[in-house]
Amino acid sequence: MLFSSITFLYFFLPATIFLYFASPQKGRNLVLLVMSLLFYAWGEPVYVLLMLAQIAVSYALLWLVDRYRARRAGGIFYILSVLLPFMALFYFKYFNFFMDTVFGIRTKAIALPIGISFYTFQIASYCVDVYRGRVERQKNIVTYAAYVTLFPQLVAGPIVRYSEIERILTRGADLSHIRMNFGNGMVRFAVGLGKKVLIANVAGEFVSEIAALGQRDILLSWAYAAAVAIQIYFDFSGYSDMAIGLGSMLGFDFPENFRYPFISKSVSEFWRRWHITLGAWFRDYVYIPMGGNRVSMPRWIGNVLVVWLFTGLWHGAGWNFIVWGLMFAVLLVFEKGAGRLYDRRRFLPEAVLSGIRHVYVGIVILVSFLVFHNDSLSGAWADIQALFGAGSRIARNAGDTQMAVYAYLFRNRIVMLCIGLIGSVPFPAWLWTKLRARMQAGAAGDRIVHILRTVVTAGLLVLCTAYLIDGSFNPFLYFRF
Amino acid sequence: MKRYKWEWGIALGSFLVCLAGTMVIWTVDPEETVSRSERRRLAQKPELTWESLADKSFMDDTEKYLLDHFPFRDGLRRIKAYFAYDVLQQKENNDIYVVQGHAAKLEYPLNEASVKRLAAKMTGLWQQYFPEQDVWYAVVPDKNYFLAEKNGYPSMDYERMIRLLSQELAKNAEFGYIDIISDLTIDDYYNTDTHWRQERILDVAHHIADAMGVGGSLNFSKGEDTGFTEHEIRDFYGVYYGQAALPMEPDTIVYLTDEVTETAVMWSLEENMPGGAEAGKVRMPGEAGAVLKPVYRLDKLDDGKSLDKYDVFAGGASSLQVITSPDAVTDRRLVIFRDSYTSSLVPLLLGAYREITLVDLRYIDSARIGEYVDFDGADVLFLYNTAIVNHAEMLK
Repeated sequence: MLFSSITFLYFFLPATIFLYFASPQKGRNLVLLVMSLLFYAWGEPVYVLLMLAQIAVSYALLWLVDRYRARRAGGIFYILSVLLPFMALFYFKYFNFFMDTVFGIRTKAIALPIGISFYTFQIASYCVDVYRGRVERQKNIVTYAAYVTLFPQLVAGPIVRYSEIERILTRGADLSHIRMNFGNGMVRFAVGLGKKVLIANVAGEFVSEIAALGQRDILLSWAYAAAVAIQIYFDFSGYSDMAIGLGSMLGFDFPENFRYPFISKSVSEFWRRWHITLGAWFRDYVYIPMGGNRVSMPRWIGNVLVVWLFTGLWHGAGWNFIVWGLMFAVLLVFEKGAGRLYDRRRFLPEAVLSGIRHVYVGIVILVSFLVFHNDSLSGAWADIQALFGAGSRIARNAGDTQMAVYAYLFRNRIVMLCIGLIGSVPFPAWLWTKLRARMQAGAAGDRIVHILRTVVTAGLLVLCTAYLIDGSFNPFLYFRF
Repeated sequence: MKRYKWEWGIALGSFLVCLAGTMVIWTVDPEETVSRSERRRLAQKPELTWESLADKSFMDDTEKYLLDHFPFRDGLRRIKAYFAYDVLQQKENNDIYVVQGHAAKLEYPLNEASVKRLAAKMTGLWQQYFPEQDVWYAVVPDKNYFLAEKNGYPSMDYERMIRLLSQELAKNAEFGYIDIISDLTIDDYYNTDTHWRQERILDVAHHIADAMGVGGSLNFSKGEDTGFTEHEIRDFYGVYYGQAALPMEPDTIVYLTDEVTETAVMWSLEENMPGGAEAGKVRMPGEAGAVLKPVYRLDKLDDGKSLDKYDVFAGGASSLQVITSPDAVTDRRLVIFRDSYTSSLVPLLLGAYREITLVDLRYIDSARIGEYVDFDGADVLFLYNTAIVNHAEMLK
């Protein structure tokens, strides 16, 4: 089920909120589990059984780990508990690609269960954390299943670790906590919905329009790259906002997944702001166990390459994702080396350096998302060449009619692009904070702020509903992961 | 804490009122089966079965059903249109733009492969069915031809389209081109619809008839007193009205009748394919039991089956129709390969042809038409609008 669907907004969500708060504290995890399974089964009626099987197997294996912890068998059960979810992920996501790449054998297409990359990582991190004693094994299978299937973040993140929501799952959220957070959660959800429906989907239309042309001029090539980046960012961060908002409404505090990544001044900073929970997962469960940066330089480079190869592959079984991941590895190594060299003799004023770094990251973002967006490397290369006026995508002898089409397409979406660019930097949040502070200074300021916030939220809901009614096709990009 | 209490109250209260209110309205709102503004049938409540659950069709159909039956659907679509136009400053909504009081659908760029495909299709038909006969073709410009370029919208290179079509046809066959584009202006089209107005294309009909050598047989003049009686059908919301989702004044359909159109009868393939014991048979015109209808299908306005008032002209979409005109001045026969624009033109040609056959290759395979159509001795005309020329893949 999509968050941005009428079924979810006007049936599933009110019913879930009602049942969740109407049930006694002890029964809430069961309500969450049942509703989460319904949510997943609505989109994956068959693969819901796969998810349940994975929950049951990992639960049983961890029980065996606990029972045989002191013996060798305990270690074997632990390895199995981590390995089995990844084997399922490998089969559904990478088997075709592996057979084709390694053996040149084209195998029958296997449908990818929605969200398998997300819940596999959640199960694996839970198993590791239990084995290493970071968290206690959850003995109640309903509570454990509620953690894995928790619908707000089940199919597109953020990747929530058990330790982050253990308290709410085991003890329940107290009413005062929910009272404080419900309104914020509602606003966050509506903002996320708006990001997805009003920006990402519209940017997606623009991307499709340009792609359908086949050829374009340089200006439109840059607009295309910007629209791709805006579409991916608003789609994914919109989903994360909705997930975090829903979590707040139900009493959970999910981790942030995006912090204005487009304002970064380096690739390493970008990845501290983009898909934060995935980066943290790889850091804690792959990079640091391999030694992190406390190793020799060649080994460190190897660690970086491995982590970014996996990061790329996590996003999809394709050469474009591998290149995309490795590209960041190379840039991270380059940044570290260049940083050390520059630190020896700083010759640029800070403002100039800052500007250069912003331009550098901006180009990296645009280029990397073209690689990410394309199904093939040749398509990505053609799109990248077009940014510099070269390659097959550039119309060399465009007539007046063709140029008029390019100009029209650009003019038609320029406001959306501007809104997208402004919305991807902290300016709107800064403006709201200032405005709120000014209004709250008055006698009835608090009330005005909250009434205004509620009206804006309702307005966003109506507008998004209007868009959903008018066009029914709006799949989330990150569902394919 | 007190602050959070009323904050929580406002948040939860408004949330529940908003969502639950919609659910209540949904429940009490009478269920519609058609959307007149969008001119389409709305999705029906899906049936819940194990199969429909397993193959996910129940979920998909439920989504469609809920979207189609959402309360205030038209109003919400209008809100979306205003947001797209006024806030995002888009120049179109769902590819529909409104200028000079007209709604039109963007159509660009020129698809040269499609033009060549159409030429190949026409040539193939000529070689297979009527290699010895006189064949003409004409192209009806869509509204973009008049509106797009001068209002800053992208458009096709229409000159290139016609030139390419002519060049491709000239390679293997001899087709006579009838240039009707210069006979038309934007005022000859409905404001809310794609089609031309019948009462404004008398000169087009004359031009075509003249080119085919039957102009002298037409029973109307191009002047003020045409000899036709005008009838009006009000409140015609054309195909672009629903898609634009913006307030527009409805059009009035004017259809023209005289003795010739009154006596003409129309046979269509779909209405002469009986079921039951006779399933698989076709009752051809002149055979016992064949269903014949008038050329103006007023019954389509009332039977609830048609969502488009333009269907009054020759009954709307049909793969194959034969119109017999007993009061025609000549005994000549005409076969028109056509789209929906021909539906309103063909009554004007009935004075000159005893029989006109209309073939719509969007609905019938060209390999099958030999079973039903006698080309021997007939004039042949290809009359397509530019949107079809640009999307010839839809012709079978």
